[in-house]
Amino acid sequence: MKGNFRLRQFTTFGFVALAALALAACAGEYPNTTFEPKSELARSIDFLWDRLLLLGTIVFVLVELALIYVIFRYRRRPNDNTTPPQTHGNALLEVTWTLIPAVILIFIAIPTVRTIFETQSKVAAGALEIEVIGHQWWWEFKYPQYNIVTANEIYLPAGVTVNFKLTSADVIHSFWVPQLAGKRDVVTNRTNYIWFTPDSTLGPSVWNGFCTEYCGSSHANMRFRVFTVRPEQFESWVAGQQQPAAFGAVASAAPPEGTPTRPQSGTGAAGGAAPAIPRPPGSTVPGADSFPAPAPIGDGATAQLAAGYTFPEHLPEFAYARPNSALPRGLTFSKGLTGNAARGMQAYNTTACIGCHVITGNPMSVGVIGPNLTHFGSRSTIGAGTFPNTPAYLALWIKNTRAMKPGSIMPTMGTNEYDPILKRTVTIGGLDDQQIADIVAYLMSLK
Amino acid sequence: MATTAVPTSISSDSMPSDPYSGIWGWITTVDHKRIGILYLYTALSFFIIGGLEAVVIRAQLQGPNGQLVSAEMYNQLFTMHGTTMVFLAIMPLSAAFFNFLIPLQIGARDVAFPRLNAFSYWVYLFGGIFITVPIFFQLAPDGGWFGYTPLTTRAYSPGINIDFWVIGLQILGVSSLAAAFNFITTIINLRAPGMTLMRMPMFTWMSFVVQFLVILAFPVITVALVFLLFDRFFGTQFYAVAAGADPLLWQHLFWIFGHPEVYILILPAFGLVSEVLPTFSRKPLFGYPVMVYSGILIGVLGFGVWAHHMFAVGMGAIADSIFAVSTMLIAIPTGVKIFNWIGTMWQGQLRFTSAMKFAIGLVALFTIGGISGVMHSSPPADLQQTDTYFIVAHFHYVLFGGSIMGIFAGIYYYFPKMTGRMMSERLGNVHFWLNFIAMNLTFFPMHFSGMLGMPRRIYTYDSGQGWDTFNLISSIGAYMLVLATAIFLYNFFMSRKRGEVAGSNPWGAGTLEWTIPSPVPEYNFAVLPTITSRYPLWEGTEEAAESARINSQEGKTSEELGIVLPYSTVKPMIVALAMVIMFCGLITTMALTFLGAAIMVLALYSWLLSPLEPEHH
Amino acid sequence: MSAPAAHHYTTTGLDSRKIAIWAFIGSECMLFISLISTYLIYKGRSIVGPFPHEEWTSPDGRHFEPILDILVTSASTFVLLMSSLAMVLALSAVQNKNLPKRTRGERILGSSKLWLWMTALLGATFLGFQAYEFTSFVHEGLTLSTNLFGSSFFTLTGFHGAHVTAGVIWLVSLLAIDYRRGLGPADALNVDIAALYWHFVDVVWIVIFTVVYLIQ
Repeated sequence: MKGNFRLRQFTTFGFVALAALALAACAGEYPNTTFEPKSELARSIDFLWDRLLLLGTIVFVLVELALIYVIFRYRRRPNDNTTPPQTHGNALLEVTWTLIPAVILIFIAIPTVRTIFETQSKVAAGALEIEVIGHQWWWEFKYPQYNIVTANEIYLPAGVTVNFKLTSADVIHSFWVPQLAGKRDVVTNRTNYIWFTPDSTLGPSVWNGFCTEYCGSSHANMRFRVFTVRPEQFESWVAGQQQPAAFGAVASAAPPEGTPTRPQSGTGAAGGAAPAIPRPPGSTVPGADSFPAPAPIGDGATAQLAAGYTFPEHLPEFAYARPNSALPRGLTFSKGLTGNAARGMQAYNTTACIGCHVITGNPMSVGVIGPNLTHFGSRSTIGAGTFPNTPAYLALWIKNTRAMKPGSIMPTMGTNEYDPILKRTVTIGGLDDQQIADIVAYLMSLK
Repeated sequence: MATTAVPTSISSDSMPSDPYSGIWGWITTVDHKRIGILYLYTALSFFIIGGLEAVVIRAQLQGPNGQLVSAEMYNQLFTMHGTTMVFLAIMPLSAAFFNFLIPLQIGARDVAFPRLNAFSYWVYLFGGIFITVPIFFQLAPDGGWFGYTPLTTRAYSPGINIDFWVIGLQILGVSSLAAAFNFITTIINLRAPGMTLMRMPMFTWMSFVVQFLVILAFPVITVALVFLLFDRFFGTQFYAVAAGADPLLWQHLFWIFGHPEVYILILPAFGLVSEVLPTFSRKPLFGYPVMVYSGILIGVLGFGVWAHHMFAVGMGAIADSIFAVSTMLIAIPTGVKIFNWIGTMWQGQLRFTSAMKFAIGLVALFTIGGISGVMHSSPPADLQQTDTYFIVAHFHYVLFGGSIMGIFAGIYYYFPKMTGRMMSERLGNVHFWLNFIAMNLTFFPMHFSGMLGMPRRIYTYDSGQGWDTFNLISSIGAYMLVLATAIFLYNFFMSRKRGEVAGSNPWGAGTLEWTIPSPVPEYNFAVLPTITSRYPLWEGTEEAAESARINSQEGKTSEELGIVLPYSTVKPMIVALAMVIMFCGLITTMALTFLGAAIMVLALYSWLLSPLEPEHH
Repeated sequence: MSAPAAHHYTTTGLDSRKIAIWAFIGSECMLFISLISTYLIYKGRSIVGPFPHEEWTSPDGRHFEPILDILVTSASTFVLLMSSLAMVLALSAVQNKNLPKRTRGERILGSSKLWLWMTALLGATFLGFQAYEFTSFVHEGLTLSTNLFGSSFFTLTGFHGAHVTAGVIWLVSLLAIDYRRGLGPADALNVDIAALYWHFVDVVWIVIFTVVYLIQ
C-alpha cells in the first residue's frame, strides 16, 4: 500500500464529506424530509429510526475502527518474513460476538413489534374517512362522510385522526406523504388502511405526496398535495366542495349516477355566503354510504368562515410545493387569446371531455374515467402535481396531454398535434386554440 | 511452503490448451476452466452494458427535470440495469469462479457433468443476448427488475417488452439450474481423498450453499414466470384482476425466489474474500467452522425472510412481526462473518495487494450495507425507507460494495492461476482507490435523498425538493466509476499479454489450487492429491507435500500421464441454441417452437447416447 | 443415457448421476409445491364457475354440476400407482438379468421388456385419462382462461402430465436400448434413475389427487 498518507488523505476527505452531508440534511429546505415528523404515526416511526440510527452508527464506528486498526497495526513491515501465529479461532470470542449482536437486535425487535401492533390497530371511532383510489397516474380522493369527490389533493384538519381506505383501479401504487406518515401500498383487489393524526399545532401547511410503487410510464408524475389546515378552514373547504359547479350549474332533476344529491341554495355563484352544513351526530347523509359521522371538528366555538376556502399555495413560503416540471419541446399556443367561460362550457359539452369527467351540476359531464372536475378551478396543480394550475399550463394540457405527461390515457384534444403514444400527428379532439382558451376559462371558473 | 516452480514456457495466448484450437475449440470445449473463462468474458461484457445503462440513468438524474431520455426509455433503462446486473453480470461472474475454481479446490479433474456444464454456459449466452438486444430497438422490458403484476400483465403492458423479460428469465433459469445440479454433484462426489467437508476451502463451501439455494429458489420464480407467461400468451387468469386474482401472488412467489437470490449473489463473494484474506494475512481463516455454519444458516434462514420486501403491502401485524424478527435474526450469522474476517487479519502479517484491498473493501462496505439492511428490518421504520433511494443505497452497498468488490478481489487473486501472468499491482491500486471513492460518492448520498423523500424509479424529480445536490454527487461518482472500470479492463487485457510471468503460487497461498502450474494444465492434477488439512501448502503432511510436488510439475501432457480427457463436442451448444429458438417461437411464430423443439430433442438424444470420453480401463 | 462410464474415483462411492437425480427431484419438489400452493391460495376464490366441488348457475341461466369426477380420477390414480409397481419390477428384472430363471413365473418376472412396456403403457393410460378429462372439461365450459380454478387446475395437472409424458418417452427409449443390445446389470443405474423419476412423478400425483380432488 502506498503508505499512510493516502489513507489519511482519504479518511479526512471522507469525514469532511460525511459531515457536510449530515449538516446538509439538517439544514436548508427539505420539504419531504422524514426527519421532522408532523403526526403521531410519523413520530413513532421516527423514534424507531433514531434508535436504529444510533445503534447502527455505534456498530459502524466500532467495526470500521477495528478494521482500520488492524490494517495499520498488522501491516507487513518490509523484509519481515516471519510467520504470524496460526490462530484457528477462539470459541469464547466467537460466542461473545454472536451474542452481542443478538442482544442489540432485541433492543430493536421489541419496540418494533410494539409499534407494529399500535399503528395497525383499528382506528378510533369518529375519524375522518378518506377513500383513496389509485389510478394510472392520478389520485382520486373521496370524503364519503361529506359526499366530496376530488382529485390529486386533500385537505386535512389539524389534530383530527384521518383514516385512509386505499384501493386501486388498475395496478399497484403506493400512497406516501413523507412528513406525515409511512407509506402504504395501494393494491388492486385489496383494501388497505392507514390512519394517523396530523399535529393539532399545525398551521396551514402543504405537504408533498408521491406514488412510491412503480406503476408505469408516469409513475414519477403521480404526485399529490396534502393541505393541513385549521379546523374552521377545513369546514369552509368542505362546504365549498359540496356545492355543485360554480359556473353554469343546473339544478337537475336527474343527477348523474353516483353523485349523491344535496339540497342546493341557488345556482352556484362562488363567493356567496354558504348555508351552515347540518351535521347532526349519528345521522348519515342521504345518498352516501353509511359512515359514522366524523367527530365534530374543533370545539364548536371556532369562527365560521365563508364556504370555499382554498389553500393559499401562491404564497412564497410554499414555493417548494409548486411544480417546476419542464415543458416538453415543441408545444405552442397562440398568444393573446381571451377565453369566454360560457362559450367554453358549450365547447366542453360537445367534446369527448364529458365522456371521462364528472362536473356536478353539468348534467352532460358524466364520465367516471378521469378526475372529477367540479371544483377544478380551486385546485393547485394539474396532471397530479406536475404543472401549476394556471390558464397557460391548462391550455397546453388540454391541447396535448400526452406530450405533457408520458403515457397519459387522455386523448390529444388539439388539432394537428404529435401524439407520442400513437407516434404520429393526429387531430382527435380537433379543438383550435380559441376553443381551448374558452374551455380553460370555463374550467378555471369552477372554483 | 512449496517453492514456486519457474515456468519453462507459456502458450502464446496464456490460456489452457485444448485439442481443438481457435474459435471452434472454444465452442466445443467441455473443459471447466475454459467454460469459466467464457463466463468471465461474457459476464464482464454484460457488466459493462449494465454499467452504461446506469450511467445514462445517472446522467438523466444529474439535475432536476432532466430531459436526456424520455420516461419510457428511462423505465427500460432501470429495468434492464437491474436485470442485467443481477442475472447477466453478478451471477455469471460468480459462475466463472464456480467453474474455474471448484474442481481445482477439491482436487478434481473436471466437474461431474462436463457437457452439461458447457450447456449451462451457452444457454446463458443466448439467453443474455435474447434479453439484451431489445433495448437497442427501444423495446426493452420496462416493468422493473422485479416485474410486479398487474403492471406486467398484458392488460397494462400490452407490448412485447415484458414478453422478452419473461421468456429471457425462463431461459436464464435453465442455465442456473443445470449448473447447480452439476456443482452439487461435483462437490459431493468428486472431492479428492482426504478432503472431508470440513477441509473444503471456503469458496467451495459458500458455493455449495449457493447451489442449494439455486435449486430450491429458481423453481419458484419459474412458476411465477410460467403464470405470467401463460397469462400473457394463453389467457390464463393468475394475475388477472378482473377474475379476482391477487396481485400479491406474484410478489410472494417472486420474493420467495428473490430473497435467496440475493444470498446467491453475495455468498460467492464472501467465499472469495475468505480465500484472499488468509493468504495475505499469512494466517488461516479465523473460526472456519463458524464461517461454514453461518453460511449454511444464512442459506436456510434466507428462505424465511422474503416478505420483508413487502412490508408496505398491508400483510397485517402478525406477518409483519414474524418477518421483521426473522430478518433481524439473519443479521447475526452475517455479522459474525465480518468479525471473523477481522479476526483473520488480527495478528497477521498483512500484504496489501490489489486482491487484498478489494477484500478489505468488501468488509468495510458490506458492513454499511448490512447496517442499512437492519434498518429496513423494522417494518414501521421501513414504511419510510421502502421504495425510496434509501433502499437503492442499501442494495448497492451490498451488491457493489459487497459482491462486486469480492469478485474483483477474486479476479486479481486468480488471474495468475488462469493466465499464468500477474495483473499490474500499480494499476490495481489506482483501480481500487478510484473505485472505492467513486462507489461511496455514488451511493452514500442516496441514503440521504431517500430519507429526504425521494422515491425510487422516477425518471425525473422536481427542483426545490432538496435532492439536487445529492443527485449531482451521485452522478459524478458514477462517471468516476466508468473511469475506474476502464482502468481495470485495460489492466486485465494488457496483463494477459504483457503481465509478469507467474509461477504456480505467486501469493504464497495455502490451498490446493496453488499446488498446480499456472496456467493450469488441461488435466488439472497429474495425480489425485491426498488431503490432510485445510491448507495443504501450509499445514500438510509429507504425503500431501509429495503429491503437491508431483502436481506442480509443468510441461506434461495428458497423454504422457495416461489421463483420459472428455471429448470436445458441439452438441451442448446445439441443444442450448435449439432451446432458445424454441422459446423465441412464442413471440414470433409457433413454427419456430416446433423446429427448435425438434432440433433440441434430436441433439439431446445424440448427446445422451454418445460417450463422454474415450473408452479406457 | 450413454453407455456405462468407466469407473472413476468418487468421494461417496455412488455414481454421480444418482446424486444429480436426487438434487433434480429436490428442485422439482419446489416446482410442484409452488403450483400446488397457488392452487390452494385460489381455491374458492373464482368469481365465476364451473367449480370443482359445487354446482353453479351462470348469470345467463346455464347450470353447471361440480366438474371434478372423483370416481374416474380414482381409477386413473390406481393405474398410475400400478405403473410404479411395474417400474419396480422392471428395475429388478434389469438388475437380475444374468441370474438363471427356472420357472415360468421367474421368467415373466425377469422380463425387463415386459415390465418396461407395462410401465409405459400404464403411464400412457393415465395420460389418456387426463386427456379425456381435459377435453370433457373444455366441453363442459372450463378452460384455462375461464376462471382462477381453470387456470390453476389445468396448469398444475398439465405440468404433471408433461412430466409423465417425459417419463413415458424415457421408458420407451430404455425399451429401444433393451431391444437393440439388451439391458443388463451394467445398465441398472440408468434404469434406477428412470425409476426414481417415475416414482417421484407418482408421489406428486398422490399429493395433487388429495389436494385437488379429495379435499373439498
